[in-house]
Amino acid sequence: MPFKIILAQSNQDLNMKRFFNFFIIILSLTLFSSCFEILEEISLNTDGSGEVLVTFNLSKSKSKIASIMLLDSVNGYKVPSKEDIGKALKEAKNHLKTIDGISNIATTSDFDNYIFTISCDFSSTANLDSVFKDLINKHNKKSKTNFNTTNFSYSANSFKRLFSYDESIKRNFYKLNSEDRKIFEDANYTSIYRFENEVEKVTNANAKVSPNKKAVFLKVDLMSLILGEKNITNSIQLSK
Amino acid sequence: MKKILLFTYLFCVALSINAQDLVTKIPKDAKAVVAIKGSNVTDLVSVAEFENSKIGKLFLKEMIKETDGRVSNINELGIDLKRDFYYFMISDSLSLKHNFLVPLKDKVGFEKLIPERQKKKIITDGDLSYFVDSYDNMVMMWNNNMLLMTMSQETYSDDYYGYNDYNVEELTEEVVVEAVEAYYPIMTFVERDHDFGTIIQGSVVTHSFEFTNTGDSDLVITDARASCGCTVPDYPETAISPGQSGEITVKFNSKNRSGSQYKTITLTTNTENGVEKLTINSYVNDEETIIEETEIEEAVIESTEVEIEETVIESTESYSNNDDYYENLRKEREAKKLIADKALVAYAKLTIQGNYANGSILKNSKYVKAIGNSKDEATAWIANLSSIYSDLLQQASYGLGPNYLGLYDGLQNFYGDMSLTSKLNFEKTQVSLKTIYTMNSDMAKYTEAMYNGKMNSNFFKFFNEDKMLGYFSVNMSTQGILEAYPEMMSKMFEGYEDDEVAAFVPIGMRILSLLIDEEGAAKILRGDMLFVLTEMKERELSYTTYEYDENYEREEVTKTKKETLPGFLMMLTSSEGDLFHQLMKIAVKESRGEVTLNANGIYQLNTNELPFALNVMFKNDAILIGTSFEDMVAIKNGKFNSKVGGKHKNLIKKNSSAIYVNGQEIASTFPREIMPNDFKEKIDFIAENTEDVIFKTGKVKKNAMEGEMILNTPEKGHNNSLAYFLNMITALMD
Repeated sequence: MPFKIILAQSNQDLNMKRFFNFFIIILSLTLFSSCFEILEEISLNTDGSGEVLVTFNLSKSKSKIASIMLLDSVNGYKVPSKEDIGKALKEAKNHLKTIDGISNIATTSDFDNYIFTISCDFSSTANLDSVFKDLINKHNKKSKTNFNTTNFSYSANSFKRLFSYDESIKRNFYKLNSEDRKIFEDANYTSIYRFENEVEKVTNANAKVSPNKKAVFLKVDLMSLILGEKNITNSIQLSK
Repeated sequence: MKKILLFTYLFCVALSINAQDLVTKIPKDAKAVVAIKGSNVTDLVSVAEFENSKIGKLFLKEMIKETDGRVSNINELGIDLKRDFYYFMISDSLSLKHNFLVPLKDKVGFEKLIPERQKKKIITDGDLSYFVDSYDNMVMMWNNNMLLMTMSQETYSDDYYGYNDYNVEELTEEVVVEAVEAYYPIMTFVERDHDFGTIIQGSVVTHSFEFTNTGDSDLVITDARASCGCTVPDYPETAISPGQSGEITVKFNSKNRSGSQYKTITLTTNTENGVEKLTINSYVNDEETIIEETEIEEAVIESTEVEIEETVIESTESYSNNDDYYENLRKEREAKKLIADKALVAYAKLTIQGNYANGSILKNSKYVKAIGNSKDEATAWIANLSSIYSDLLQQASYGLGPNYLGLYDGLQNFYGDMSLTSKLNFEKTQVSLKTIYTMNSDMAKYTEAMYNGKMNSNFFKFFNEDKMLGYFSVNMSTQGILEAYPEMMSKMFEGYEDDEVAAFVPIGMRILSLLIDEEGAAKILRGDMLFVLTEMKERELSYTTYEYDENYEREEVTKTKKETLPGFLMMLTSSEGDLFHQLMKIAVKESRGEVTLNANGIYQLNTNELPFALNVMFKNDAILIGTSFEDMVAIKNGKFNSKVGGKHKNLIKKNSSAIYVNGQEIASTFPREIMPNDFKEKIDFIAENTEDVIFKTGKVKKNAMEGEMILNTPEKGHNNSLAYFLNMITALMD
């Protein structure tokens, strides 16, 4: 019967697609190295205002990502489409718009190299905290965690980057299967804070101060951060 | 003298073995049979070997747990592993019956498996023991020789076990009263199905279905239609008063028909459902001889049907109040269940006796021809797909009838006489699963035309079998598809009852076939295609990262890294080179730089949608699409180092479709350094222990199409492929 023939034909197409998917899976399997970088850059003015730029760079694993994006799902997770990513960035932008003291919001996305950025100006570090305040509160309540809602503070020429590690990070990480955990193995987190005044002292032993004393650089591999071996908390004392 | 003695002895042994084979318990008209050859399996892997394998240990552990330690090894199960296991299915318009036959050494071992609470339910009848699970419509019956498990699955839409009746309890009081007040005439038939048995092609047979109006108002029949012009129903045109009887005469003309026939007669009536259905079955024999038919089994079923109808009659008496209504419903359900259980037990007894008048499945020439005395470890056979479809359609299309708009006859045209056979075989170095579809000549004609493609031999000049990881080939014929398709459509709707549709479809299809120039279309793409996974290649990849000056101002830099990637080459036959170049010219113009024409005459597609660049060119009546630019250039200049041997040439050319996966090559060329450690060991094991896998679908030959999956295993380290599998699983599970 014709339906059967149509089925037979679409079956061939399906087989073809399946075979192509098989190829893509081999492809993505050969590309285990899935490194990415997160960059957090803040330029702080003496009055406590400033600008922030966050960059996600997945360029080093771009062929893996490009092949994964040809699939519908991988390891049981739905693979986001370009549209999904664009939408997520737009939602983030809309969220920022609702926060007082945040202005000049901009996002960029580069699907050739898989680099995404989001930047904005703020009038005080409290504005930055408000970005995640609701989210963190909700998470603390739901998962009984103890993350602080103040991540940045600036007063009396002292800039503080705060981060309270919670054991739940490690727990959740080990809940992932070993394949998924690999994603974080080669990833790193870099923060660069730039100031108008000179830096006098930093508390984080891994942080480096530039020779002109106007920038502080801290690079941590994401794995140590997740396992609580290293911390990004830093207290930076600036000259008056 | 000694020789004669020996011969006699052997003869007796052979006879006793034959008598024990449970295949004789399968009736000739079984619609599906699955056989697992116990001795073939235990020859390959002994029980002890199995028990020591990982799966065997798991299995034993589970069994000890399930039986609270009553059974601790496979021998204690009492199952005779030297004999064959069977599953078979029989169907009629009321139900499908699934049956499992398990050879037993004795019943003691088996009875140990039964939990204590279940043991109380066991009924003993001579050397037979059984229990009935009426909730699941199942009976389990055994003696010292065998175990039979039968499950009955209703296909009759007016579910006579009455589960549907529970819904009634959710109805409001008013609805129930309303239902009671609506006095419909009730058409009660002595039988709704009639089997003419085997008839000679060309003969005309007649049957009268007797009925009584057991309702409370006049019964009026306004129409009677059959699912096929070959069947002519005759019905009384005057109203039948309550209590009166009448008959529907059905005449079936078997001219030009052959094989199993299943026809439905739909009566339009003023009964509650508005329609009543009758069915006739027959087997039209176009050969000279006819096998005598006796109807022991059918007689039993018919008699129970009568009883059922009687209980229905009782239940439809008027209900004075709701309590009585529910009480009656409950009683009715219980009565029905009891009757069904009794019928099931009677059926099981007949099966264990296995004295079928028509003989067992071994008398079924189609089965014997398909399965034969095969050495395969497991076989599966489905007799006639159309008769199973018709049973399922009956279930699925309640209210419309199985032959809604004559669609069933269309089905019959294509699926009639279509059967399926599967064989699983473990050889020394290979496992194969073979599936054969046998179809009727109509279907075979179209399928043959569609799959009768011709593989382009030039393809073999474009790849090297030593380096490939696998391939997928399709050998369809575009011309065949375009020619067969319209013809098939009009054939399909030939029996369509709706006059307009019946007239329109063939005309439409004819126009379609005139509009499409089959040869022209076939020139663009002939239908043969080959997709080869070519070798793993290392390539350099540039990526963006950041460097920082002494003041930590960041700077974007481009670095490179090495990646190992598999590539592919897809080949399609086309004789329209000019058209190809014209289309590619448009692509170059319209793609805003994504498609470019290289100096070598190769088109390159660079897009961020794909993790690789694609190269496209036309060469020797073939369109080539591939990931390797160097290979393309070499092919273009006739300098490609190709190598394809007879094995792969045959596989690709002689089948309508083939898939080949070179497990050895994939496992050994996989870039190991980037693999996690636990994964490495498994990959190493597979690399050492797998050869390759082949899936192929043959061309249509003698109305049959054969598909086969072959897994080739290495020769060393095991006796045969089944033992190999157990070893492999043991290794991978660690």
